[in-house]
Amino acid sequence: MAASSPRTVLSVEGLSKRFGAIQALDRVSLSVAAGEIRAVCGENGAGKSTLVKILTGVYAADSGRILIDGALRVIQDPSEAQALGLAVVAQELSLVPELSIHDNIWLGNAKVPLFHRRRRFREESRRVMEVLGIGHLGLDTRVRELGIGERQLVEIARMLARDARVLILDEPTATLTDREIERIFSALAALKAEGRAILYITHRLGEVFAICDTVSVLRNGALVGTWRTDAIDRGALIEAMLGRALTDMYPEAAGAGGAAKLTVERLRVPGIVEDLALEAPRGRIVCLAGQIGSGAAETVRALAGLVHDATGLVAMDGRELPLGSVARAVAANVRFISEDRAEESVFLRLRTMDNLVATRLAEHARYGILSRSGLTATAESLARRVGVDTARLRSRADALSGGNQQKIAFGRSIRDDEPGLLLMNEPTRGVDVGARAEIYAMMRGFCDLGYSLVMTTTDLEEALGIADLIVTMYRGRIVGRYGRNEATMHRILADITHPAEVA
Amino acid sequence: MRLADASGLIFGRRRGALAVVRWIAVLALAVAAFASPGFASPVSLLTLLTEISWVGLVAVGMTFITIGGNIMSFCLGATIASSSAVFISLLDWGVAPAFAATMLYGGLVQGAQGVVIGYFRANPIIVSMAGLALIVGTANVLTGGTGVFAEGEAYRALKGKIGPLPIEFWFFLASVAAGQVLLSLTRFGREVYMVGSNLRAAEAAGIRTARVTALCYAFAGATASIAGVLIAARYGESHLDLDIGIDYQAIAGILVGGTAIEGGSGSVMRSFAGVVVIAVISSLLIFHGFSTAVQALVVGVAVLGVVMLQAVGRER
Repeated sequence: MAASSPRTVLSVEGLSKRFGAIQALDRVSLSVAAGEIRAVCGENGAGKSTLVKILTGVYAADSGRILIDGALRVIQDPSEAQALGLAVVAQELSLVPELSIHDNIWLGNAKVPLFHRRRRFREESRRVMEVLGIGHLGLDTRVRELGIGERQLVEIARMLARDARVLILDEPTATLTDREIERIFSALAALKAEGRAILYITHRLGEVFAICDTVSVLRNGALVGTWRTDAIDRGALIEAMLGRALTDMYPEAAGAGGAAKLTVERLRVPGIVEDLALEAPRGRIVCLAGQIGSGAAETVRALAGLVHDATGLVAMDGRELPLGSVARAVAANVRFISEDRAEESVFLRLRTMDNLVATRLAEHARYGILSRSGLTATAESLARRVGVDTARLRSRADALSGGNQQKIAFGRSIRDDEPGLLLMNEPTRGVDVGARAEIYAMMRGFCDLGYSLVMTTTDLEEALGIADLIVTMYRGRIVGRYGRNEATMHRILADITHPAEVA
Repeated sequence: MRLADASGLIFGRRRGALAVVRWIAVLALAVAAFASPGFASPVSLLTLLTEISWVGLVAVGMTFITIGGNIMSFCLGATIASSSAVFISLLDWGVAPAFAATMLYGGLVQGAQGVVIGYFRANPIIVSMAGLALIVGTANVLTGGTGVFAEGEAYRALKGKIGPLPIEFWFFLASVAAGQVLLSLTRFGREVYMVGSNLRAAEAAGIRTARVTALCYAFAGATASIAGVLIAARYGESHLDLDIGIDYQAIAGILVGGTAIEGGSGSVMRSFAGVVVIAVISSLLIFHGFSTAVQALVVGVAVLGVVMLQAVGRER
């Protein structure tokens, strides 16, 4: 049960922050009670991260007040935030992989004396781990050996050891599997029962309704409103975030599906994927659904030529597609959009236009000399087609939002003369809801051109919404195949977690 | 006001600030140079231009390594020295064939390192140090540790001046032009930026990244070997220990010119400017009677300063 008498732990009043011409935060007021899980939603640039950074002392607010337990506080720097009991669990985990869980829990803790292996500290580590449901892990296990979900929990354990009373979680589930997400959720429920206040920042609307009590929506730096999650529905929430209604999140395929464009037989990635057979029709979206480790993502990577020891019979439009070489896959008109934008997709330090034409240099080169006007024209037309402002073509890609970066990755994949195969892993990871709708529309645009799309996602709602064919995978093998009207959340979830019960 | 805000204020317009710093430095340098009596004399300018050219030829090639994301090679000085020896040994073939064969040698010796780095993802610094040790070792075994001396007169054609400028400087200008054209106008050049900016993304975009890396090194080896040939022609001899350290001056020039150490940005023209600035500083110091030790110190401080400026100004 929630705390008996809701007591406000943190409240902010009229917080504002301006960066140059941009009003990042505009007179935002909200408060969180003990035992409350408060979702904070909004598109990229809505002001969520600015709010977090002010609360943790990274930025100073231009105006406004922060009250903790009703007392006015000024947070000068992150160590003061820690002393006041405000703790943030960031997206990029700040654990040291080579140290033990115990060491990590106490790392950077102001209470720690020179030596921290004393029994009292070990007991405290043990206690916070029990609360979070990771009591079975050894205190001296190195963090390197843990999965991402467990690391996330260790990170939270560290905040508990600091006796954090307000926990700020910044998209904690973005990179987790469903199993891991379940564990985070039960840990959050335990924290709630302990009377801690939680600010939960997320793009995933499903999570807002699953675990949050209340939701605050920011838009363009201002607070749109705060609701109890049982008093608002999904459509209204999206409307609050976007400032407009979003009637058609997932567009459906137009026209009849074509014949198989891609056929895969006996695909094998040693140790990961076994004897996989797959067909992808022209003009349709095939979604491989499976958890991390199911082999879904590796299947897509193998088709993109990124897995060197993959073997199998793959044909596109009847022509054999060799595996193991990206260059040859690109030449055969296969394009791949990685889930890891910063590491494997976008050239952050290059200009937007250079990013857009990255796979099209060959067609603008004669004897190795590039045609600048040709490249510029191509970049401009691609930018217009994927909805990136052409004024931004000359600015660096790292100045763009996640959604815009993903649009670049899509733009790079367009080829008009001959529709090909578009492969995507987690196409909307870290993309806000508005840009997400644009990306789904873009995917249908590719279908209309005659492309065949193969994607993976760990967001089952997305799989059910956008896919024409869902192929479920478990431990490197296909479990089931479902058409658009056959799939249900229950069946998919059963397939990807407990294939034995289904068979 | 706290740190994040303060750094935002100072580095918010960092490009502008850096450009101003750069121009003030260049202006101060020019004033100092021409205020030093004798600096602008023909003899000292010729010496300066010749030295600039040797370092510059290395810097042009090294720029490709740096932009391609592999920081620098410690092996280019040894490549110069061994190229001098190769050129002198092959002079029997005639000057032009020997020149061409030496460039091939330089390209292969560095290209091989590029292959190791590109295909096996080996650490570039370590590979270049291994390359340095291999070249020096092999050369010592072959020559018995003594110098190699040129015979005949033909090689002297590569010595002296064309018009008002030393031959070396013409070769340097030509390599700058060739390097800049390669970088900014060709598909290969574009791919160098992509590989340097984000190796995995380049791979996923279908670029043959290992080949691009190998070619960067081969090009660097070729320009370094041109310097080797010209040094051999000027002195008529080759000593292994003569040219080691030129690679350090070259990287100093590249960094001072503003090419980013982490790869993905920069240009040959910047390296050209950086090399000139470093050389002018060095010779000014000599002019005013400072030792070569002080010279090295000043270059070290300049490099450190630039690297720190780059690190601080980088967007987080």
